[in-house]
Amino acid sequence: MQRDECMQAIAPLFTDELFVTTNGGATTEWSSVRPSDANMQVKTMGLCSSIGLGLALALPHRRVVVMDGDGSLWMNLGSLATIGLHQPTNLIHICWDNKSYEASGGEPTATAAEHLDFAAVARGTGIASSWCVLTIEDLRDCVRDALNTPGPHFVWACIEPGHTITLERPCDELENKYRFVRHIEQTEGLTILRMPLGHSQER
Amino acid sequence: MASVPDINLLELITQLADDEDIQHVPVGREEEGVGVCAGAYLGGKRPALLMQNAGLMNSCNGLTTTGLQFGIPILLLVYYAGDMGDNAFHMLGLVTEQVLQGLGIKYAVGRNPSDVKKQIADAMSICQAAKRPVALLLTRDVL
Repeated sequence: MQRDECMQAIAPLFTDELFVTTNGGATTEWSSVRPSDANMQVKTMGLCSSIGLGLALALPHRRVVVMDGDGSLWMNLGSLATIGLHQPTNLIHICWDNKSYEASGGEPTATAAEHLDFAAVARGTGIASSWCVLTIEDLRDCVRDALNTPGPHFVWACIEPGHTITLERPCDELENKYRFVRHIEQTEGLTILRMPLGHSQER
Repeated sequence: MASVPDINLLELITQLADDEDIQHVPVGREEEGVGVCAGAYLGGKRPALLMQNAGLMNSCNGLTTTGLQFGIPILLLVYYAGDMGDNAFHMLGLVTEQVLQGLGIKYAVGRNPSDVKKQIADAMSICQAAKRPVALLLTRDVL
């Protein structure tokens, strides 16, 4: 299965979830399959799982979906232990594993040797709902279950290499942040962006 | 407040656990803490990361490509190991301020216990106004 067709298969399952996507195909394809201000792109390789954890802990009633990659998860494998420690019930962590650094030229990652079982690692950190999926049908079932049961959930989706050519990302990092934060403000009734006061306005 | 411990931060971390107004999130590596803080900010919190300056070194890419690139306010409360009179991590002390300067992260040094409360409030305030990470280096004298 390919990442793009996986995304198209699961996209109709979502409603008001927040999405944190790792740099590369996970971001470009997801923002093309499901364009939304609820999508947050990540530029620091490995950090999407940690950003998703922080978001999930800050908004415990709101489901957060992290879309990681195999190279990215390898780089921040410790984040699984931290997720296992904090047990965010609203976090769904999907790792798209194409066994390569596709966005960086296609060199093999640790999963290419087929010794590394991400689902077993996740389960070992205390993420009891950890799954390996090989077909689109199983992926859809797994994500549907994850949306209906308390997490944290980890879904290791083994995909074929290859990415869909998409248009340029619609916005840069700062615009992405402002749109995402405004979306949170509107949907959660929060004020997050505060403008500093001028000296004459200070009390 | 995300944190990675240091023996000099022990008392502060113990107090964090008892403070109901602060959600304490221990992490395994400091750069994870940058991510957790960024996510917390996006979710409406005012995040801070408590760590030693060795952890500041571990966090440089996250601070650059998440903190600075997306404009995320994160208060960095950093134990300043290797400051004058603190010899255990002398090499870290030699490079800490230059690293912050190189990253373009505004910082202050807390050396006087009677000033540090205002310094923390001021650092949080400028951090939120500038929407960037800001650091306060905490010496053993104030910890």
